[in-house]
Amino acid sequence: MAERPEDLNLPNAVITRIIKEALPDGVNVSKEARRAISQAASVFVLYATSCANNFAIKAKRKTLNAADVMAAMEEMEFERFLQPLREALEAYKKGQKGKKEASEQKRKEKDKKTDTEENDKNREEENEEDDEENMEEEQEGENEREEEVDN
Amino acid sequence: MAATVAVPVASVESDPDRCGAEEEARENEAEEDGNQQAGPISTSQSRLAKLPLARIKALMKADPDVSLASQESVFIIAKATELFVEMIAKDALVYAQQGKRKTLQRKDLDNAIEAIDEFAFLEGM
Repeated sequence: MAERPEDLNLPNAVITRIIKEALPDGVNVSKEARRAISQAASVFVLYATSCANNFAIKAKRKTLNAADVMAAMEEMEFERFLQPLREALEAYKKGQKGKKEASEQKRKEKDKKTDTEENDKNREEENEEDDEENMEEEQEGENEREEEVDN
Repeated sequence: MAATVAVPVASVESDPDRCGAEEEARENEAEEDGNQQAGPISTSQSRLAKLPLARIKALMKADPDVSLASQESVFIIAKATELFVEMIAKDALVYAQQGKRKTLQRKDLDNAIEAIDEFAFLEGM
């Protein structure tokens, strides 16, 4: 499905919520203002991406990383964002690590269970199913690190 | 892997020179937004960013010069966008209040964009 940048708006409900939480109680936001802010946010993403990508290219990397985005924020004069972004990144990395460990733990337990059943009965079909599931999980693990962007 | 996304590039000025620094700096406000801690491991990572990462990633993919983006970079851009929305809303509010209004209107946004250097990239929106 072809997606055009014009079609890629950020969800209105989320944008509205962010705006409301930033403003004091009793302040309203007109529909046009909300739409304009949403559009500005999309432009921000595009601009920040482009800026960050320049840093990646300069470093001869094909993959845009978090440091590139930080550098872009500074270039764009949004230094005020750097500290909160660093903190958010730390929390995010911890969460990702926990997720990976949890899924590896799950896989270990499943392998253990499979071995036990092999000793009890000979179930070839079940092994095939488990192999397929393991392959899927491995793929998911790879996808978590890098998102491939096809152009 | 996924189907090719055919995207005409939006008329955004992705001129690298635009990323050049200007001298004027604004006062630093503490824009802590109370980062939510991820609870149990099974909690979705998206709790830490209010904007959906998939949508952010789709926007990033619109740039033909971008080949790969780490998941962390997508997250950081999502978070930065959230901070940006907060900032522009607050800055526009100043103009509404000057006009003795309690409702933020489009013109308040326009005023903020015109007046504030960091929003220069939005001119012509």
